[in-house]
Amino acid sequence: MLVFTRRKHEAIRIGDRIEVRVLRVGRDGVRLGITAPPDVPVHREEIYEEIRQANRAAHAVPTDVTALAVRLRQP
Amino acid sequence: MTTPSAAVSLPIGADASAGAVPSEVAQNAVAFPDGIPGFESCRQFVLVASDEIAPLQRLHSIQGPSANFVGIDPRLVLPSYRCHLSDHDLRVLDAQPDTTLLWLAIVTVETDGTAVANLRAPIVINPERMLGRQVLPDEGLYPIRHVLSPGA
Repeated sequence: MLVFTRRKHEAIRIGDRIEVRVLRVGRDGVRLGITAPPDVPVHREEIYEEIRQANRAAHAVPTDVTALAVRLRQP
Repeated sequence: MTTPSAAVSLPIGADASAGAVPSEVAQNAVAFPDGIPGFESCRQFVLVASDEIAPLQRLHSIQGPSANFVGIDPRLVLPSYRCHLSDHDLRVLDAQPDTTLLWLAIVTVETDGTAVANLRAPIVINPERMLGRQVLPDEGLYPIRHVLSPGA
């Protein structure tokens, strides 16, 4: 892993299309500005992880789909 | 904002009881170029709808590890549902902002029997190109765990 020390307003560049800039340094967190082309998805790590876990749970639970459908069709 | 249009008829899918008919499966395969989170190596799925399981639909992986999901059109859960598609999403789906897309919220039945739908990160399919993707909005308006009640 490459490790950099950056101060407020300083940035790093990844390739020639991605820039990560430190906008604010607070006690509890660092605010970053990411500039990236539209074909590069940028997500907070925990969002991807949350969806990943939700998908795993959705797949792992055996579902009686017909019974659930009947339940949902009840008015 | 891209508003999912209502009353989309399903151009894909087969009878759930029909089993895997190879030619039909191949014809109905939807490519997910990035897989979906947790199932990144699953790149081909089929969407199955039938009267028996309506309003639910099934999404099965037909290539790579097993991945079976149950989904529901999020607009049947919340009629006002809308979700932003990024330029990247549209590009992966080979869709224009006005392309009619299929939307599916993945349903999980929890251990106590509660059924929840993931409205936060819907599966979106472009039926014209048979391309699909799970959308991950950073600023979600909707919960990952929306409890489904009868009549949905």
